[in-house]
Amino acid sequence: MVRVKSRYLLCEVNVSDRTRLLLLDDRAVAETVKATVARIHGDYGAAMCSIRFSVKYLNTHTGIVFLRFPKRCYKLLWSALPFITCIETRGQKIPCFLNCLHVGGTIRTCQKFLIRYNTQQLHRMLPKCKNEEEKQQVRKAILNCILPGGNKQDEDILESDDEEE
Amino acid sequence: MAEFMDLNVSTCEDQSRVLDLISTAAQLGFSTVALNYEFEPSANHRAVPSPTPTNQLIPQLPLVQGRSRPIRVLNRLTIVTSDPGHFRPNAPEYRCYDLLAVRPTTEKLFHAACMMYDVDIISVSVTEKLPFFFKRAPVNGATDRGVVFELSYAAAIRDATRRRYTISNAVSLMESCRGRNVILSSAAEKPLELRGPYDVANLGLLFGLSDGDAKEAVSSSCRSVLLHAETRKTASGVVHTVKSPDTGPAAKRRHLME
Repeated sequence: MVRVKSRYLLCEVNVSDRTRLLLLDDRAVAETVKATVARIHGDYGAAMCSIRFSVKYLNTHTGIVFLRFPKRCYKLLWSALPFITCIETRGQKIPCFLNCLHVGGTIRTCQKFLIRYNTQQLHRMLPKCKNEEEKQQVRKAILNCILPGGNKQDEDILESDDEEE
Repeated sequence: MAEFMDLNVSTCEDQSRVLDLISTAAQLGFSTVALNYEFEPSANHRAVPSPTPTNQLIPQLPLVQGRSRPIRVLNRLTIVTSDPGHFRPNAPEYRCYDLLAVRPTTEKLFHAACMMYDVDIISVSVTEKLPFFFKRAPVNGATDRGVVFELSYAAAIRDATRRRYTISNAVSLMESCRGRNVILSSAAEKPLELRGPYDVANLGLLFGLSDGDAKEAVSSSCRSVLLHAETRKTASGVVHTVKSPDTGPAAKRRHLME
């Protein structure tokens, strides 16, 4: 047996106002991606995007999104992503852009990368801390950044990531 | 991981917006950005704008994502030429810029820019349909001299008609230069118009670049532009003269000792 292959794009939603990230949900992201692909690549793109496309994971605190695309046309679909300028959710338009961080073949490789990336973000945050207590919290969060043995998600690490924002 | 560069970021009067742009670029992982000053001799008869020194603009440069070095900020001048008199070789005003670019609007000027002008970048207009074709001879001439062609993608993000012009101009350029000596840059005015380096490289596929060429267009071709700019300033990269900073006081001291 050979499994059906996909590509997982690990993207970061960049916004100017970080509090508005909390408004996002996966359906809004999926709709925006589908609409943009249809706008850029027409009916062919829309058809490709309807096969096995899904939003696998969304962290509204850090703005991390996992997108699954079929392997044979992920480049075509990816080339439409830079044209996203805003995501419409709950009647509001959030101006933003997607920045692709990593392309992986499995969710697990993406997870590994994400943990490394979040550790890096915490290191970047460390010099910006204002008092000693915040520093201690960030240091503790950095030490917690390990890939759990089982299939446990790295939820707790992501959660601690945005405390200092 | 290669170093990524964005050699065209628009400047404006508002310094906080420029700062925002630079910090967003650093966050995205660009290790060098060039602030673009546009100069159009035909439109208004003002002088060449003088660049703000980067250390005056930003007291502390933000660190690049994934590296421990701060971002490098350069100044770049783009001259929009519609008349042969607009580009003055060896003008002293051009000397204070790190990079020099031209955007020719007629075929004759394009030919001249490729074959003769002492510039680093030939910027391809993306907001209108090109009035001329890219001929093989001047394009090859530019490739031999190490001058690169630039495509910017911010206009394509803004609206649909310009997206068509961008893609059609890009594809017609790629037909004659076969993907070599091309750089992709943003020409962003707002932080939300910047895109990550991997996204830009993938966007190259829409412009007719192959995988490897697209990645080169954001990394190693940009590096060769910087090196070309250095050779322009020095005598073909071999001899470089600097004004010694302490000639005045040192000479005085020697005089006193005697």
